[in-house]
Amino acid sequence: MRWIGAPVHTQIAVLCGRTLRLLTNDPQLVLFSLAQPLIMLTLFSQVFASLADTANFPPGVSYVDYLMPAILVTTGIGSAMQSGVSLVSEMDNGLLKRLRAMPVTPGAVLAARSLADVIRTAVQLVTLVVAATLLFGFHPVGGLLGTVASVLLTLYVNWALTWIFLALAARLRSADAMQMAGSLAMFPLMFASSAYVPVDALPEWLRVVAVVNPLTYAVDAARALTMDTPVGVELLAACATSLVIAAGGMYAAIRAFRRP
Amino acid sequence: MAEPVIQARKISVSFGAVRALTDVDISVERGTVHGLLGHNGAGKTTLVNVLSTLIRPTSGTATVAGFDVGDQGHLVRGRIGVTGQFASVDDNLSGRDNLVLVARLLGASSRQARARADDLLTVFGLTDAARRAVRTYSGGMRRRIDLAASLVGRPEVLFLDEPTTGLDPPGRLGLWQIIEDLIATGTTALLTTQYLTEADRLAQEISVLSKGTVTATGTPAALKARVGGASTHLRLAVRADTDRATTLLTRVGFTPVVGGENPVVILPATAPTDLATAIRELERGHIAIAEITMAAPTLDDVYLAVTGTHR
Repeated sequence: MRWIGAPVHTQIAVLCGRTLRLLTNDPQLVLFSLAQPLIMLTLFSQVFASLADTANFPPGVSYVDYLMPAILVTTGIGSAMQSGVSLVSEMDNGLLKRLRAMPVTPGAVLAARSLADVIRTAVQLVTLVVAATLLFGFHPVGGLLGTVASVLLTLYVNWALTWIFLALAARLRSADAMQMAGSLAMFPLMFASSAYVPVDALPEWLRVVAVVNPLTYAVDAARALTMDTPVGVELLAACATSLVIAAGGMYAAIRAFRRP
Repeated sequence: MAEPVIQARKISVSFGAVRALTDVDISVERGTVHGLLGHNGAGKTTLVNVLSTLIRPTSGTATVAGFDVGDQGHLVRGRIGVTGQFASVDDNLSGRDNLVLVARLLGASSRQARARADDLLTVFGLTDAARRAVRTYSGGMRRRIDLAASLVGRPEVLFLDEPTTGLDPPGRLGLWQIIEDLIATGTTALLTTQYLTEADRLAQEISVLSKGTVTATGTPAALKARVGGASTHLRLAVRADTDRATTLLTRVGFTPVVGGENPVVILPATAPTDLATAIRELERGHIAIAEITMAAPTLDDVYLAVTGTHR
């Protein structure tokens, strides 16, 4: 009886299981990936809380409620970037060399990593929501349903973004270059958006960027879902831009990964 | 007559301006070991990479186990095992988990994968260390788990890229035995090595690779006949005598090569009677010999005999 190759979905499942097992084997890593978004949440909600009582914010909404969707989405971005960084360190791993000489589809290796990172992000997001509810009085109008929808949207955007960072990682193949590229990309994306303040409150030059920033729509849509306000074009824009990003990222990632 | 299991025709590989391989032909029959003998940089690993579908040749064709390495790479990869100098296993997983992972990726069920892993661990004497992370293994153990991983799928063709480099003599002998047992079960193998002794022991046929081209092919016996036999190393007492010694010896028909540390004059393929002639000649020229050693034919001797140049 000859084993000459498992079907793609099995490859993805097996490789995903391996990545998750490695993650859980290292408690330090787990703790750190949970601690970072929690710290962000604490800092932003406490430091900027008083600013919420200004004319620019929607009345009657606590800053935590306003902030949470942004924290969720930006955690998602950070997690996606982590996915790329992990791939770079993996590229030197002996196992990957072996996989190249096996009947394993390169796309499956990347898909497994993307999936494992989405699962890890889900754990982070759920932890955030629980912590925010228990510690910071997160009590959005949209209730549990709105929050769940918001988390799912964030996971979808996160999944799409992992492909961009995987493509970067497969192309650059250097931890330093990844960190630089990631930071360069992340901070403008995060701050030139509706994540932390309403777009109208941004100075003119940032507002121009925010209007074309897909994250603005993702955060707006997530926010609308939690606040139970009508959500229309933002949701569509978020889903569509994410899909385009995912498709482009997948193509670039697989091409770059294939090279020896 | 059956098709050769590995068939490469005029394989050339260029990396930019660098020609790694030029018009390489290799043919390996089923159930045999073909040795690829050459120094570092000769192109051995590049050829293995082409045949194991890791890189595409710039020109030429190759089939492995009946499938084309270019168009049918996926089908080739399901039938080969590759093991090399650097262990291609996951350091952070245990030895057992590594083998199970490979088995499942090849299509085994969980139960089959675990059984196969345990079998291989027993054969390679790694059962005690099975649950420990590979990171904690010794060099010899890493090499064994790497070989075990390449055998999980019972491959038709095995690529062994300098498998015993860095192993101590007992480790090397142990690995040779395992490889011989494998060949006895019908596996075909392409072995790359720098050591003529290793190629001699394991291979039925050897190709000598030098600067990206095959300069000779033949059975170990044929190659050794070309080399002629052991070479004599004459370490002179006075370094300044080297040139004069070389001249004297050339005059009586030798082709001496100066190499190694201190003044060492190497006479390739010296028969015992020739040795007497050489010593007599040097004595007549009042050249003192500090030390005489005879060494078994090395790769350098093969290169000398086959290409007429020292590497």
